[in-house]
Amino acid sequence: MKESVIRALLFDFFEGKTTSIQRKMIEEWLAEPQNEELYYRYLDQWESEHPQFAPDADHALAHFQTMLSGIGDEPVQPIGREPVGRVSRNTWLWTAAAAMITIVFGVAFQKQVLYKSLESAPGRTVSYRLSEGTEVLLNANSSLLVPRFGFSGSTREVILDGEAEFKVTHTAGHDRFVVKMGDHYQIEVLGTEFVAFSRARGKRVFLKNGKVKLQLPQGKQVYMKPGSLFVSGRDGAFKMTAPADPRPYTAWKEQTFYFDNTLLSDVAAQIEEQFDVRVRIPDTLLAQRRIGGIYKATQADDLLLILSDLMEIEITQKEDHIELTIPKLP
Amino acid sequence: MTAFPLNDFDEDSPGRGQEHADGPVPAGMVADDEWLLRSQFSANPEKGCELLFRRYYVNLCNHAIRFVHSRAVAEDIVSEIFTTFWQNQTFLHVSTSYRAYLYKAVRHRAYNYLKWQMRFIAPADAPVHASESPSPDEALQYTELHQRIELIVRDLPAQCRRAYLLKRVEGKKYDEVAEEMNISAKAVEALVSRALSRIRKELSAHWVLFFTLFFC
Repeated sequence: MKESVIRALLFDFFEGKTTSIQRKMIEEWLAEPQNEELYYRYLDQWESEHPQFAPDADHALAHFQTMLSGIGDEPVQPIGREPVGRVSRNTWLWTAAAAMITIVFGVAFQKQVLYKSLESAPGRTVSYRLSEGTEVLLNANSSLLVPRFGFSGSTREVILDGEAEFKVTHTAGHDRFVVKMGDHYQIEVLGTEFVAFSRARGKRVFLKNGKVKLQLPQGKQVYMKPGSLFVSGRDGAFKMTAPADPRPYTAWKEQTFYFDNTLLSDVAAQIEEQFDVRVRIPDTLLAQRRIGGIYKATQADDLLLILSDLMEIEITQKEDHIELTIPKLP
Repeated sequence: MTAFPLNDFDEDSPGRGQEHADGPVPAGMVADDEWLLRSQFSANPEKGCELLFRRYYVNLCNHAIRFVHSRAVAEDIVSEIFTTFWQNQTFLHVSTSYRAYLYKAVRHRAYNYLKWQMRFIAPADAPVHASESPSPDEALQYTELHQRIELIVRDLPAQCRRAYLLKRVEGKKYDEVAEEMNISAKAVEALVSRALSRIRKELSAHWVLFFTLFFC
């Protein structure tokens, strides 16, 4: 197709003036990968010729230049171009939206308005840098809620579901960094490195360095020293130890599983958490067998194959779960 | 094991799918109008980003507002894209033209905003960039989406439309709109919320189609 023809056709399309037959024609033309480039070139030309409003480009550029020079860095949160004027306008909008939604969806929805969810897919770890510089490495199948509008006040508060490693930066104002883990567990720090695990089956905190205060249910508090490990189960009982080997708690960072005399039922739970697949072991004797070793697995199948070889178990994919059984002798 | 690069967090980086395409665009054919930018980026990325900003900021804002109908939100979306573009060093990984990357990023972000705002597909955890393999149709559907929004607004009753545009697009306060329209602030509020719910309703009918085409 001639360039001038396609240009006219696309301009008509952008204005909503094409017939469905012409649309089909554009779609076929777009199937050619390099034509997509042309599409956006013409879209840009068309936008130049059909302005909607005049953004304050100078102001925005000045702000962008400040950011480029590294003075203001706010990667995760939206950047407000004009801190004062903009915030009030935006706040209005947000408030109106929040009010509306609150009426419709109830108070429970408030969290989604105030917090933004950072997430990781099954089998993938993702790293984030929060607006004040804290680095978070999110383990697979986990989510972290951070304030949508940036941290305010003297407490930096995030909500963790799953597992993550935090490298918390110490702020000039000594602001506390708080990780809420649900079920009334929370971690409070000023600036340290730690790994937190928060799922339904229990909570776990491994402190690499610095100092950490843990808030437990019923108002209890404990302090942690570097190298110590806090574990609590579903029943609320907890213990604090100083493991000689930190690898079991940090192995996930290398997409590795670290088992040391670990129950197969526990292995199954870890696979579920990491890859979001359901694993069932109907035979309780099998579930109580133990396994050791360090295994690298980027997907559930990797690990299951190793298990089947190692323990001579049979792995069957059922409709909505994977079943581990002892093979029947012929 | 590889380290996980920090740039993973650009939640809707649309360029990612492109990286697996059949290699970069033949430079001589289409992308050559960006050669100056590209050479600037290899010499001095900071300067390159600035040039890119100067070149596309206004047009991208104009594109974004077609979806979000708010000057402030449109400008924020575009500023955010440039910020992540620099902070994640996306310019090192873009295999398409910068222009294609930026327009796609604006469309994805605007779409996500709209989706959040309209609360149509309710769960916040729904995948936002499931279209890993962009279809040619995607480029068209975004255009059709903002046209659809435009039509809905055009069909609103005159008073309703006026209140909506003053409030949302111009970003005026309720009492400012009230003064301009010679009605009470309460009435403005009612008009705007009527407009929004109308858009939501009409869009959701359209959205089912849009969403299934896109993400299934």
